[in-house]
Amino acid sequence: MTTSLKHVSLWLTSLALLAGCAAHGTPPPALTQARSSYQQLAADSAVLASAPKDVMRAGDSLERAERLASYWGSAEDVEHYAYLSQRYSAIAREHSVLTAEQQQLARLQLERERLQLALREARLIGVQQQGLWLEEQMLSLATTETERGLVMSLGDVLFDADRAELKGAANRTVLKLFQFLQLNPQRTVRIEGYTDNRGLADDNLALSSARAQAVADVLIDLGIAPERIKVQGHGAAFPVAANASSRGRAQNRRVEIVFSDEQGRLAPPRE
Amino acid sequence: MTQRMCAVLALLLLAGCASDPVPEAQLQVTEAALVQARAVGAGAEQAELGQAEAGLEAARQAAGREENRQARMLAERAELDARLAEAQALTAKNRAQIAELRSELRRLRTQLGEQP
Repeated sequence: MTTSLKHVSLWLTSLALLAGCAAHGTPPPALTQARSSYQQLAADSAVLASAPKDVMRAGDSLERAERLASYWGSAEDVEHYAYLSQRYSAIAREHSVLTAEQQQLARLQLERERLQLALREARLIGVQQQGLWLEEQMLSLATTETERGLVMSLGDVLFDADRAELKGAANRTVLKLFQFLQLNPQRTVRIEGYTDNRGLADDNLALSSARAQAVADVLIDLGIAPERIKVQGHGAAFPVAANASSRGRAQNRRVEIVFSDEQGRLAPPRE
Repeated sequence: MTQRMCAVLALLLLAGCASDPVPEAQLQVTEAALVQARAVGAGAEQAELGQAEAGLEAARQAAGREENRQARMLAERAELDARLAEAQALTAKNRAQIAELRSELRRLRTQLGEQP
């Protein structure tokens, strides 16, 4: 057995010698391509970092192809391992491209979040500005410029007769008032209650105060600072219409909001 | 002596064919790589996927003819064809996402620019 091994080794040596000749010829194009692919790859640290295993395999296959290329009669194997090496190189490159582009995708996703946030904020401001515009419209329609400043009248519909609780439908109007005060933090208000002339003067005074206070309470509950709101009941005083008709009396049952100027200065209360 | 040497040589030559078992494992690995490539969206438009499919088929036929060495090499090449197709499909998917995101960002920027 040892002698046969010797013979084999002899035979292999002669093969290697033959291969020595073969190796001097031009290497097969597949091997040349695999070589240059691998060299480009190995020089690229990003590829190495993102696909080390595939780079290693590309190198191993190339090494095998190179070794086989020095043997005679192994052209098919050389071609095979050169092919594998090139494929590993291509896979490694693809992985590295994917890694880089995934990072890019992540950056873009962050950018999108940032932009969406900015857009939401911009829209909110837009809505607030729109709201401000609406409130100004509302005020210009509902208010009258008097010697007391800007006055907005909340009609009788806010309250049931002899009751001081705000009706459900009234809350929307008060909510608008709240929004206006929120958007105009410098302004303060005086909420004045009025009744018609039926009933006792003391009761009317108490009722008018309670109604004004009901409006103020809602605003305070919503978060307007109490010091921005003054409340006053006037009873049947200062009617806006004749108390002779029910229509006139309904007009006299009201709550008026007196707005300060933009510096928070309120006109003095009525005497 | 010469006889012995001849016998060894003949054995060696024979061994070249006989020592290769049917590459069952490699065929399975290649098959799995193909399944995986298709699963991530590799399609017929990729030459590499076609190569992998044809390669696996050729490998199976070679195995059927008991050309096991040939079958193994074909299957090995087909495996890498499939893995490359898979990697390319993943990159393409990611690229499509990037493109979509970019156009979304353009829209967002335009909308932001239109805000008062």
